[in-house]
Amino acid sequence: MNDSTPIRRRVRTATGGISDSRVNDAKTQSQYQPYKDAAWGFINHWYPALFSEELGEDAVEGIQICGIPIVLRRVNGKVFALKDQCIHRGVRLSAKPMCFDKKSITCWYHGFTFDLETGTLVTIVANEEDKLIGTTGITSYPVQEVCGMIFVFVRADDFPDADVPPLSHDLPVRFPERSEEFPHPLWPAAPSILDENAVALGMHRTGFTNWRIACENGFDNAHILVHKDNTIVQAMNWVLPLGILPTSDDCISPIEDEDGPKGMMQWLFTDRWAPVLENKMLDIKVEGLNGRFYRTSVVLPGVLMVENWPEEHIVQYEWYVPITEDTHEYWEVLVKVCPDEKAQKDFKYRFDRVFLPLCLHGFNDCDLYAREAMHDFYADGTGWDNEQLVSTDVSPITWRKIASRWNRGIAPPGRGVENATKHSPIKYRRLSEGKAPGYFVEKIND
Amino acid sequence: MTDIARPIAPVPLSGGDGPASSGAVHTVALHFSDGVERVLQVAEGELVLDAAIAAGVGISHQCRSGSCTSCIARLTSGSAEMRSGSCSLLASEKAAGHRLLCLTEASGPASFTLPYGSTSIGAATEAQAFINTIEQLASDVVRLELELADGFWLDFKPGQFIQIKVPGSDAMRSYSIASTVADLPRIELLIRLLPDGLTSDWLRNRARPEDVVSLSGPYGSFFLRAAPATIPHLMVAGGTGLAPMLSMIDTLRARPGRKPKIVLSFGCATRDGLFHLEPLELRQHWMPSLETRISIDRGAPEDGVRVGNPVAAILDGPIDPASVAYLCGPPGMVSAARDALEAAGLSPENIFAEQFVAST
Repeated sequence: MNDSTPIRRRVRTATGGISDSRVNDAKTQSQYQPYKDAAWGFINHWYPALFSEELGEDAVEGIQICGIPIVLRRVNGKVFALKDQCIHRGVRLSAKPMCFDKKSITCWYHGFTFDLETGTLVTIVANEEDKLIGTTGITSYPVQEVCGMIFVFVRADDFPDADVPPLSHDLPVRFPERSEEFPHPLWPAAPSILDENAVALGMHRTGFTNWRIACENGFDNAHILVHKDNTIVQAMNWVLPLGILPTSDDCISPIEDEDGPKGMMQWLFTDRWAPVLENKMLDIKVEGLNGRFYRTSVVLPGVLMVENWPEEHIVQYEWYVPITEDTHEYWEVLVKVCPDEKAQKDFKYRFDRVFLPLCLHGFNDCDLYAREAMHDFYADGTGWDNEQLVSTDVSPITWRKIASRWNRGIAPPGRGVENATKHSPIKYRRLSEGKAPGYFVEKIND
Repeated sequence: MTDIARPIAPVPLSGGDGPASSGAVHTVALHFSDGVERVLQVAEGELVLDAAIAAGVGISHQCRSGSCTSCIARLTSGSAEMRSGSCSLLASEKAAGHRLLCLTEASGPASFTLPYGSTSIGAATEAQAFINTIEQLASDVVRLELELADGFWLDFKPGQFIQIKVPGSDAMRSYSIASTVADLPRIELLIRLLPDGLTSDWLRNRARPEDVVSLSGPYGSFFLRAAPATIPHLMVAGGTGLAPMLSMIDTLRARPGRKPKIVLSFGCATRDGLFHLEPLELRQHWMPSLETRISIDRGAPEDGVRVGNPVAAILDGPIDPASVAYLCGPPGMVSAARDALEAAGLSPENIFAEQFVAST
């Protein structure tokens, strides 16, 4: 460095063409700045990792959430989760699972062996006396298995065990315990995966957008236009509005109780929202006959609940689990209370024949491509500044503010993990083999 | 550019009373809060701070003339007195063992404790920065946003300050950083305009965006201490003393996991001197555990603004004696807040303060 003229890091250019009438003016945007910063998701929250049936006894799987690689192993029925990155040289343990006993997992490369429960380095296969043993380890993640789903508390390395909240704080509100607060006269109380005899059937797949784009789509009341021509809507003759407009300031209630989930409830199908059934100028009219009442709410870390959907006594949950800043694992789960074996069988039958093909695929496939269509605009971050939001966007704006306020931490950009850098020769090789970047570790076959 | 630490102000040579000729050398031990001990050999009559700097020991300091209290330490054994002259320590503080190392001479073996760790005070670096914006926030407050030029960087702890070489003079002026390390290369300062101050004159009449200024830092032992999230944080800020608090609050907010309860009491003299209400409201929105209390010394009360001083406002509610407190503002406010919080049961070691240095 010499004393020559100082140089600017970069030149700023003004952006123009943004209307002063947009709802997301500078002040509103600043209120959700933390959300704009959360490209890699919110850390220190419970996320679904796998369906129980995806992890059999003694099985090992590697996944990635919020830029953190996680290895899961089931031993004697119990699931353990550790950071899937050997402390030695960063190898993913799950790429070639090696377990010599029921208490540990060993890195297949140099034999570093970690306690399943605590993550402590307990031995090195060919170096039993090394002084590193016992002094270090990999982060362990609390696990809870509920209703056929494995949830992992994805935390920062220094997040204390004592501060881990109950899973119910990161799940949608429950009914009937909150029926008085959020009355639902048009449908029966929505079930929860925490209910007795609840059955969760669903799927998860990788979405190729930032998680926030996907999450906001779930409760965006103007987006239902993309579903106008869906088979299930037409076949059932549903009245699915072209859009739903807010009519009063209390169209959304924040959910901010101290001892519970944080998010918001939309008062759909009350006088606080007006369904739009036609556009005269364009001569479009909804022709359906059968009312299809539902209500959406969302809680941190991005869990959607669609009550009374796709039919009575069923609720649809969705998660948009961040993998990297441009991929997420999209979870669609239908929950129903099935008190006996027959009810379970009937639900499974209807799920396989109707809900899976026509709802989770047919209906929600539209959401997937709609989200991907938004990705490029937001990919470099400028979309969050340049979008021009309107009155119906009260939903994403309220969500962003609440998420900014109550998240337990903004995940730092992933480092040393798959797809954290966009140019990896291995990624290109995989692409050439027809394998897209995704959620699961690619296992080594030999 | 060099990144060698250098004295930030000329050493004041106190009229001829340099090291005495006796040639005696005393062993002075410095105990840092991280348990590290550093031992200095200090010549009779030599200033402890000078010896520490010569030995490369990181001691917080700024004015080197007994006013800013950056170099405060506590004498725990032995004897060491301060040179006569103006000194901002109260007699009671001296009696309690406090010394300002920039004025303290060793006259025998002595031990001091320092309220920060041995690695806390890193080497200051010099840097050049562009002015991004100059924004008048209130009748006498300017927000100056700088951006480090390409090739320059400096690290700092939330609460620390930098020195700016006032363009058109050789004078250096100290300002706490209001932004955080995450905002680098941007650095935000809150500067109080004085009727005829050197910086004030520059900011009013000559400073323009895209100008380049020279700065150095970081300095100071007033910075956010590691504390569990269960410990409440009390902050009392007078005027531009808000700057280090903003840096601390934003740092705490960006940390993952549980956030401590924070009460920020911020006061200005009059309503037209009050500033930054929107950014404070925003931070309360972002961080439910933050409560702000805004005061003006004189004027009419209004919604969200009380009349009184910020020390009275911080006392307006229960105070957990386990709290840590950060105080920054004029000397009178700082000492009143310290007395009040100690009376409320806070341990003196948990009260950290930075007071304004008078300058023109």
